[in-house]
Amino acid sequence: MAALAATLFFVSLLVFVVVRVLPGDPALIILGLEASPESLARVRQGLGLDRPVPVQYAKWVGQALRGDLGRSIQYDLPVASLILSRLAVTLPLTLLAAGFMVAAAIPLGVFAATHHRRWGDYLTMTLSQLGVAVPGFWAGLLLILLFSVQLGWVQAGGFDGWGQGVWPGLRSLLLPAVALGLFQFAVLARTTRSAVLEVLREEYVKTARAKGLAERLVLFRHALRNALIPIVTVAGVQLGQLLAGSIILESVFYLPGLGRLTLAAISARDLPVVQGVVLFVASMIVTVNAAVDILYGLLDPRIRYG
Amino acid sequence: MKRPLIAMVIAALGAAPVAAPVAAQTQGNLVIQVPTEPPGLDMTTNPSSAIAAVVFDNVQEGLIKIDRTGKMVPWLAERWYTTDSRNYTFFLRKGVRFSNGRELKAADVKFALDRAMNPETKHPYRVQYDVIQDVIVKDDYTVTVTLKRVDATFLYTTARQGSVIYPREAVDSLKSQPVGTGPFTVAEWVRGDRIVLVKNKDYWVKGLPKLDRVVFRFIPDPNSTLAALKSGDIDASVFGIGPESVDELKKDARFQVIVGDTTNDVTLSMNNSKKPYSDKRVRLAITHAINKDEVLKGAMFGYGKILGSNVDPTNPYFVDVSKRVSYDPVKAKKLLAEAGYPNGFDAVFKVAPQYYYTVRSAEIVASQLAKVGIRATIQQIEWGQWLSQVFCLAPCQNPDYDMSIIGHAEAWDIGNFANPKYYFRWDSSDFQKLFQESQVTVDDKKRRELYVKMQEMLADEAPAVWLYMHPRLAITKKGVSGLWKDQPAPVLDLSEVAWQK
Repeated sequence: MAALAATLFFVSLLVFVVVRVLPGDPALIILGLEASPESLARVRQGLGLDRPVPVQYAKWVGQALRGDLGRSIQYDLPVASLILSRLAVTLPLTLLAAGFMVAAAIPLGVFAATHHRRWGDYLTMTLSQLGVAVPGFWAGLLLILLFSVQLGWVQAGGFDGWGQGVWPGLRSLLLPAVALGLFQFAVLARTTRSAVLEVLREEYVKTARAKGLAERLVLFRHALRNALIPIVTVAGVQLGQLLAGSIILESVFYLPGLGRLTLAAISARDLPVVQGVVLFVASMIVTVNAAVDILYGLLDPRIRYG
Repeated sequence: MKRPLIAMVIAALGAAPVAAPVAAQTQGNLVIQVPTEPPGLDMTTNPSSAIAAVVFDNVQEGLIKIDRTGKMVPWLAERWYTTDSRNYTFFLRKGVRFSNGRELKAADVKFALDRAMNPETKHPYRVQYDVIQDVIVKDDYTVTVTLKRVDATFLYTTARQGSVIYPREAVDSLKSQPVGTGPFTVAEWVRGDRIVLVKNKDYWVKGLPKLDRVVFRFIPDPNSTLAALKSGDIDASVFGIGPESVDELKKDARFQVIVGDTTNDVTLSMNNSKKPYSDKRVRLAITHAINKDEVLKGAMFGYGKILGSNVDPTNPYFVDVSKRVSYDPVKAKKLLAEAGYPNGFDAVFKVAPQYYYTVRSAEIVASQLAKVGIRATIQQIEWGQWLSQVFCLAPCQNPDYDMSIIGHAEAWDIGNFANPKYYFRWDSSDFQKLFQESQVTVDDKKRRELYVKMQEMLADEAPAVWLYMHPRLAITKKGVSGLWKDQPAPVLDLSEVAWQK
């Protein structure tokens, strides 16, 4: 917990400083190119930009701890409510991508490991090589061309909201989720393959086989379970990368998610939003990592945290 | 390399059209793409063109309107008169109602103009209203504006986006729920995704608007926009498709392509306060060295028009001065030698890749300059940095650049060259005198003469190189009619747009 808090403190400091050294004055961007110096000073004062930076930081952190991330300059709405409304797109998108990644990568990785140096292995590795090589935005465009432009099964982009039920919402997230998860799927499939391969060479696997256990049991009870530690480690890191990768795919599929909110906020120098989103995403990633650590304990009883 | 490859694949896959089941098209309903989500909807506090695209002339209107040909026509004011060009009396149209039901009165005009003049209310173009002495309500439908001095641009100011008339009581909701007299009202704004406008049933122009509902979808990426058009998700795109896709779309029977003029002058700026650009011979050499036709072909696939000065073809005073300093690399070399640079010099282009045409144009221009010995390299910088280094926004004192390229989209912005503090840093008292004279010359014929003189002087003095006018490239599904062809003002007027039966 102490490490968690320290990480978050460091992140908050970093975000705050980076956002302030960016060139471009939010007051100017709000007022446009022909603003008078007096009105600029007034806007800066209104935003609290005239006060010393440590004072600004203390105020921001103090409010953030109480759940108040400030108000968006651009939208004139509370940052926290903006994040929540955008999360309705980004969270399902990330989870869907993660689900696709895990559901495809682990079976394929195991399959490749058990068919080591045979055609199944080569096929899987070729597939994952492709997945690593194709950038997400490009895969996204190809998927749009095939499934929207040619086949017309789903729309090319946009998000219909959850108001009309789960399926219309899910449908608009399917293609971006596949495009987003493709690269991470490929990485995870390769990790799974090598982790399982390594375990399959262990003595206890030989013992299990010698005992006459069914190959299925050997694979799932002994090999996969022990191989899961590196797999979960990689998958945990990947979850964070999926969240970050959504920035690009939300632009390709024009989804109103956190990523596009951030992008727009950066170019408009909407500092409260930039700070708020980065802090929020960092907290999510830190939490995921903590959850992975706890999961280790469940997977391997030898791992204990004092 | 990424973009051309994507474009090729899109072209290949798009060759066989299929019927799209998730089509946006229904009678009375138009889905239109815009690249940027507006930062609020208040045109009186923010100059963003993304706001004007949604609100201007669609939701809120002014006393005078710029029509599709660029002409000023009586709008909320059905007529006006002045005898001395110092006192303008406007007669309001009777029976015009705001979408909140209340009738437009002269007091609303006074309120809007007073508020624009007031330094407390962040109006982005407050200086334009400085000339106003007083706004006097004569009766409910008559209002007189008295000016401190003659100002030939005053009527144009009342036609600008910042001069729209709104009801006093709705001033606090301008940012999210603007109320006006326009053909549409704001029905819904889903942040990050779309803004929906619906028909104003009591619109004062009979028979308009023709559409019941307009959806503005925010799609930032040109390739996504293209895919959305082809899949039928959107019906039209006015600012989202690049020139590289136009030829392909022209061949596609499902779409119509409208190529028109704009006020956006793509300008190669030079830092006139810095050597060697302070030397007129060097600036002329650079102009002679650039083959604008080639730039237009390479950067814009030939769409757009060559410019010779800051005034573009949508302006009524436009004259073609592009032949005054023609493409002539031999002469360019001679001028460079005369100026003391027989072996050329090194230069840096600072451009912001946020606007695709800047980098493309700079690449072509740099290769042309190399042929006369000017060794130009291209440095791509982020928009915020561009604004502070090149455009020199406060607290910047002196611009830090050699050359840059950017589109100047403002109409009637020739005054920038009369402002020695503008980032061109061109200080010509002769030009400043001409411009000042044009500002107080109300007679149209005399004013035109002054504008012709200014255009010729700009071409001959070459404080910048005006490369080309950025074209308006509007793509719609077949059957959409009534869109403006040209873009004489920052408007996306949808009042006359309809689906043809």
